[in-house]
Amino acid sequence: MSRASGREYHQRLKGALDNTFLGQTLARFQGNYRGSRQAGFAGMDFEALAAEVGAAKDAALGHLEELYQQFKAKAEAAGATVHLAHDAAHAREIIAKIAAQTGSRRIIKSKSMTSEEIHLNRHLEAQGLKVTETDLGEWIIQLRGEGPSHMVAPAIHLSRSEVAELFTQVTGEKQDPEDIASLVEVARQRLRRAMLEADMGISGANFALASTGSIATVTNEGNARLVTTLPRVHVALVGLEKLVPDLNTALKILRLLPRSATGQLISTYVTWVTGAVECAANRGKKELHIVFLDNGRLALSQDPVFSQALRCLRCGSCANVCPIFGKVGGHNYGHVYIGAIGLILTYFYHGPEAAQELLGNCLNCQACKVNCPANIDLPGLIKKTAGLLLAEQGRPIKNQLLRRVLTNRPLFHFLLRRAYLAQKPLARGGRLIRHLPLFFAPDQEFRSLPVVAAEPLRDRWRRLAPKVPKPRLRVALFGGCLIDFVYPEQAEAFLGLIKGKGIQVDYARDQSCCGLPAAMASEEETAREVARQNLAAMEAEWYDYVLTLCASCASHLKKYPELLAGDPVWAGRAEHMAAKVIDLASFLQKEAGLEPAAAQGKAAAYHAPCHLCRGLGVHDASKELLREAGYDYRPYDDEEVCCGFGGSYSLDFPELSAAILERKLRQVAATGADTLVTDCPGCVLQLEGGLDHLGSPIRVRHLAQALAEAKDK
Amino acid sequence: MNQNELRQEFGRKAEAVSAVVTPVADLAQAFAQAARLTALQGGKCLAAPGWEGADLAALKAACEQEGLELITQGLRERTGEFHTGLTRARWGVAETGTIVVESSSEELRLATMLSEVHVAVLPAANLRADLFSLEQELDRTLADAPGYLAFISGPSRTGDIELVLTLGAHGPRQLHIMLLEEGS
Repeated sequence: MSRASGREYHQRLKGALDNTFLGQTLARFQGNYRGSRQAGFAGMDFEALAAEVGAAKDAALGHLEELYQQFKAKAEAAGATVHLAHDAAHAREIIAKIAAQTGSRRIIKSKSMTSEEIHLNRHLEAQGLKVTETDLGEWIIQLRGEGPSHMVAPAIHLSRSEVAELFTQVTGEKQDPEDIASLVEVARQRLRRAMLEADMGISGANFALASTGSIATVTNEGNARLVTTLPRVHVALVGLEKLVPDLNTALKILRLLPRSATGQLISTYVTWVTGAVECAANRGKKELHIVFLDNGRLALSQDPVFSQALRCLRCGSCANVCPIFGKVGGHNYGHVYIGAIGLILTYFYHGPEAAQELLGNCLNCQACKVNCPANIDLPGLIKKTAGLLLAEQGRPIKNQLLRRVLTNRPLFHFLLRRAYLAQKPLARGGRLIRHLPLFFAPDQEFRSLPVVAAEPLRDRWRRLAPKVPKPRLRVALFGGCLIDFVYPEQAEAFLGLIKGKGIQVDYARDQSCCGLPAAMASEEETAREVARQNLAAMEAEWYDYVLTLCASCASHLKKYPELLAGDPVWAGRAEHMAAKVIDLASFLQKEAGLEPAAAQGKAAAYHAPCHLCRGLGVHDASKELLREAGYDYRPYDDEEVCCGFGGSYSLDFPELSAAILERKLRQVAATGADTLVTDCPGCVLQLEGGLDHLGSPIRVRHLAQALAEAKDK
Repeated sequence: MNQNELRQEFGRKAEAVSAVVTPVADLAQAFAQAARLTALQGGKCLAAPGWEGADLAALKAACEQEGLELITQGLRERTGEFHTGLTRARWGVAETGTIVVESSSEELRLATMLSEVHVAVLPAANLRADLFSLEQELDRTLADAPGYLAFISGPSRTGDIELVLTLGAHGPRQLHIMLLEEGS
């Protein structure tokens, strides 16, 4: 990211964070969505269905050209004309030409993200054509001269007052912002007129069925039905990736699309058009043109890594569950396409320049990934897309340093030890640094930072190592940087929990950072090198488990096989170790159990680390243990929402990290808990720092500590 | 699901999306209901393309009873005049409360899109559990080109202003489904 554009982007983000209405609307939107989506998928195996849709889309994406030919033959036999546009300019030309040839002056449109992608309206208007959007949200933003801020709800960033004001201008009559039904009525009346007068209707399509040459639109308002029925000419603009072989595939997608978009079991209207249908306004038969847009899709569909992005169904769920979108909205979290998929598609459809500010703005919290109905690894693709940018534009100094330092463990650990000395004066003898000199890390004032421990875990180990003559279990402890150098007491608490249970624990001295920071910075080669070093150091072959107290490390260690796939030496060892990686809560439940409860009803709230609940799929174990240990466990809505840490994310986007943290802490405070428990030292750092900054009495404990304290009483 | 369960599930799901399901014993009763509710809402005209013969005669009688004008064609020219669009539905889908309306006739489409109220007559015998159980029938319908097929689940709606659900954005403000027992 260039400095100037980076600064400008941060200013925009700050502006959005200061917009209270936007914050409230988005919070309500995301809150409602969570409930509706859950109800929509009740009793269904979402994971399996999403995997099925992902596989069905992949199968189609492997044969786009064939499907296109098959579709074209069927649709043209039914009286349509099918076009293939190579890029945005070509598509605009084709559509403008159809307008000219058919003498169309007035055009109505139903919602089409693909038409937004090619900036179609601007082009048609420049030809002197009158273009009217008929989806209510699209019409509102068209009148305001804006782009959509969400793929499904394009005007979600606006308040009823802003809409009322706009409609007052449009109608010349005062509109009441509290009467939303009458605002909708204004659109109904105005747009009905435009629809009856139009010569041409432009729609998008959610599916194009190769087997029959049919296109389908999925809408709630019913405007797409009118757009495809009233005018004498119908142009459908369709991304090539919307081609599916048959109805069965379309029905599989349809089962997930509305549920993922809004929680509806199905949208109000699903409309299938096959060929040139009856149209009295055009001598009895509609003139139908179907324009397929390539714009990089064919090439993308052949890419072994990035073709996944074309599975996208445009449901918008990746935005609906994204904590960053929830704070700044789509205008600051995408270009034309918004949300996680937007970050990726912007690079491919609108170029590196449009994408570069956005691609770093991902917490890697995995919320989008586990909610994606097409099973797209969105955070993984975002990092890989950012990697393409690095390859093109050269590596910034911070990436070069990261590479040099992380691949050299002795140097890395030397620097961490030095950090202790550097921080000491700032901590004033305490465990937290409240005020950093601004030049050191700007905008970090929202949280205190922990000091590096005087004696890291690795130095304490000789003293701490449990002596178990005849162990029934052998555990290799993977510390990770934060446990080793900042929070060794969390590991000590763990050792206390398993004392006398016949469990041998070893700490391999040559282990280093798990490599997640490198993966987060799109430094894949560095991540691989560190992975190989850790595999050699851990010697997992000799152990029953590789246990880590850090959820992020655990989920990253589980990714080693993917990272080293195809590596003749290391792939096998990576698989082997990944199978043994376990988190603390699961380990305790499975192998160690707890001492009798003694926490005596102390009220505790829980923060689920992203990499535990979504990364490892462990949702309940920690909470069950807390209850078992006698804690009065207090739930809250956002328990599984990211704390805003995201490793270096909180350094790169402190304004957002702070805003996301604030929301979480507010909910935690409302539970009345006096202890906040989590099982990731990164989350501890963020939560503890935020609470300390607020002067809150709530204490943060790693699960190991919370359980150890219950035992001590 | 047996027929009774299908009917119950369809009713629940259709009502969940704000459709009104009314069981009727025969077509005459469906027509009488459609004409009645049109008159009660102050409608003057009912658009019903695609009905023929004895059915059409019965419908005409029902409309006369309520003092309504009945039109069956030329709907484009009568936009804004007809209050109700009365059509058949081919199938009903219990899982989602959906009706499937074969809409290749332009007049029929206009009746279902430009009316204030859409009344659809659905034979109860044509209820199915989900869209997958209709796959073959739908596939055949789509293959019969050119064609226009609609899955309709409740009346037109929007949440585009502050996500407040509002019915009647562009299409009918109400959807009435007359569930026809006859011949089932």
